[in-house]
Amino acid sequence: MTSAAARAARASALLLPLLLAAAAVGLTVGAGDLSLTAALHGLEPDATVLYKLRLPRVLLAAEVGAALSVAGVALQALLRNPLADPFVFGLSGGAAIGTTVVVIASGTALGSAAFSAASFAGLLPAQVAAVAGAMAAALLVYTLGRARGQLEPTRALLVGVVFNSFASALVLAVEAVLRPEQTQAVLLWLSGTLGYESMPVLASAGLVLIIPIVILIALAGRLNLLALGDEGAQALGVDVSRTRLLAFFAASAAVGIAVAFTGLVGFVGLVVPHAVRLVVGPDHRVVLPASALGGAVFLVLADALARVLFRSLGAEPPVGAITAMIGAPLFVLLLRSRQ
Amino acid sequence: MGTLIVALLLAAGPRQHLGPAVPAHVQRVVTLAPSLSEVVLALGAQDRLVGVTRFDDDPRVAKVARIGGYNDPQPEAVLGVKPDLVLAEPAPSNRGPVEALARLGVPIEAFPLTTVADIEDAIGGIAQLLGVPEKGRELDAQLEAARKQSRDKLQGKKRLRTLLVFGLEPLVVAGPGSFAVELLEDAGGENAAAGADKPFFRWSAEAAVRSAPDLIILCGVDAPPGRPALPGLDKTRTVHLRSTALLHPGPRLAEALGDLAVALHP
Repeated sequence: MTSAAARAARASALLLPLLLAAAAVGLTVGAGDLSLTAALHGLEPDATVLYKLRLPRVLLAAEVGAALSVAGVALQALLRNPLADPFVFGLSGGAAIGTTVVVIASGTALGSAAFSAASFAGLLPAQVAAVAGAMAAALLVYTLGRARGQLEPTRALLVGVVFNSFASALVLAVEAVLRPEQTQAVLLWLSGTLGYESMPVLASAGLVLIIPIVILIALAGRLNLLALGDEGAQALGVDVSRTRLLAFFAASAAVGIAVAFTGLVGFVGLVVPHAVRLVVGPDHRVVLPASALGGAVFLVLADALARVLFRSLGAEPPVGAITAMIGAPLFVLLLRSRQ
Repeated sequence: MGTLIVALLLAAGPRQHLGPAVPAHVQRVVTLAPSLSEVVLALGAQDRLVGVTRFDDDPRVAKVARIGGYNDPQPEAVLGVKPDLVLAEPAPSNRGPVEALARLGVPIEAFPLTTVADIEDAIGGIAQLLGVPEKGRELDAQLEAARKQSRDKLQGKKRLRTLLVFGLEPLVVAGPGSFAVELLEDAGGENAAAGADKPFFRWSAEAAVRSAPDLIILCGVDAPPGRPALPGLDKTRTVHLRSTALLHPGPRLAEALGDLAVALHP
């Protein structure tokens, strides 16, 4: 039996070239034809398309894919439930409320003033609101999901599911009074779309995402022991409630940041961890880093597919629709192959 | 006021009449789009307007009853103001409530507002229905005169390749066969989004970059603070229209033409 570190390194050595290949695909395909040679020689418009449109999108897809997958692994371990998905703790609902509030506020004088202030501070209002909404929801679910001072997985799960339903009802109700183009912006966000962020924004998002991902990888050993049940883990010296608390908020932060940029891209955090476990086994010390890379590969490829699927019609479906269309059947296949 | 443009994305079909015949002397008019209200106002029939959408922001209709939105007119609210004519745009999105109104005995006249000719026909048609045909002809003649004057001034000037942007999330641009592009050409521009064949359509950021515009005109939309309106085109000159007239396919088009001219040649 080789050490976990060695296996993690081996999985990464396998997945890194895959990620590079996926990135190459993502850079090559798009809404128009691109001459890579022209782009690399700095000829316009190819250079702009490559460096300012495709490259930022590939990077965003990789970051978000990694964040959602790692969060998925952590939440599945935390809840001891393989069906847990990153949005299960009400995070999607919270982020949706945050985004809707921004869309509504953007039409009011007070909102415009707040936007100018936020942009002066270098913040993107919609993103900040989504993260704030997601974190508020996480806090709410954490508070309501506790019993006897401890986070109780089943309770938290139920509170999260109910909160998500409540949030989508709220968003639907509010949509009735929105202007049609505002409704469209909200719907686009809810369906999960990769946009074009600037390089400094992508760099800071990447840096911020490293924190929760590192925390979760550091917790990997303790997440393994949680599988033995709370008492078993406790007996082996794991501070169960502290581990839960840390993992819960680290995963929530990762998801919050991801949805802030792309809206609700489903199935990434569900399918990727399952596929990875199938290959590398259940050890979280391997599953977590491998899922980060695997999630990045998955979303980069899904986005490339979104860009070419309806290319001849000049249209592009939201990437969230693609991940769900691939993810749902893949998930069933993975489930069946486990038996 | 991108409302109208979302509507235009969906709008289709020729002029339609639904329900019973329009009475000879129309006294109570409901409009299902702000630009249709503006036509009625420009024809001097302000006192006959009894219902408008919640998107109508002209101060002259501030006290008129609201009957719902563009896509979701409320049949009950429309019936409540007892109209003898409802003016609409033919669009799949408002079809259900509009057909219900026709079945309930309200005469409906639906006018497409896609090209300048459509809009002039609508102004003429509504003037006819309201019994003031000469006013309609006068409005149409004024618009045509403004267009000709603008074209005459252009002799020999270089045409700027321009993107008319009506939506950012998702990106919506004006295409050939839209009143917006017809006016752009009158004002001395050339549509950079010439490839597509629809009046208004969703476009990819890559296609926008590839179209290599000299100028981007934002029509009633604004980029989030701190970001370029179109990714990859942050160095392209980007201007806002000085008013929202171009978002009102009706009597305000002459004003919109002036806005476009200023945007093109400040």
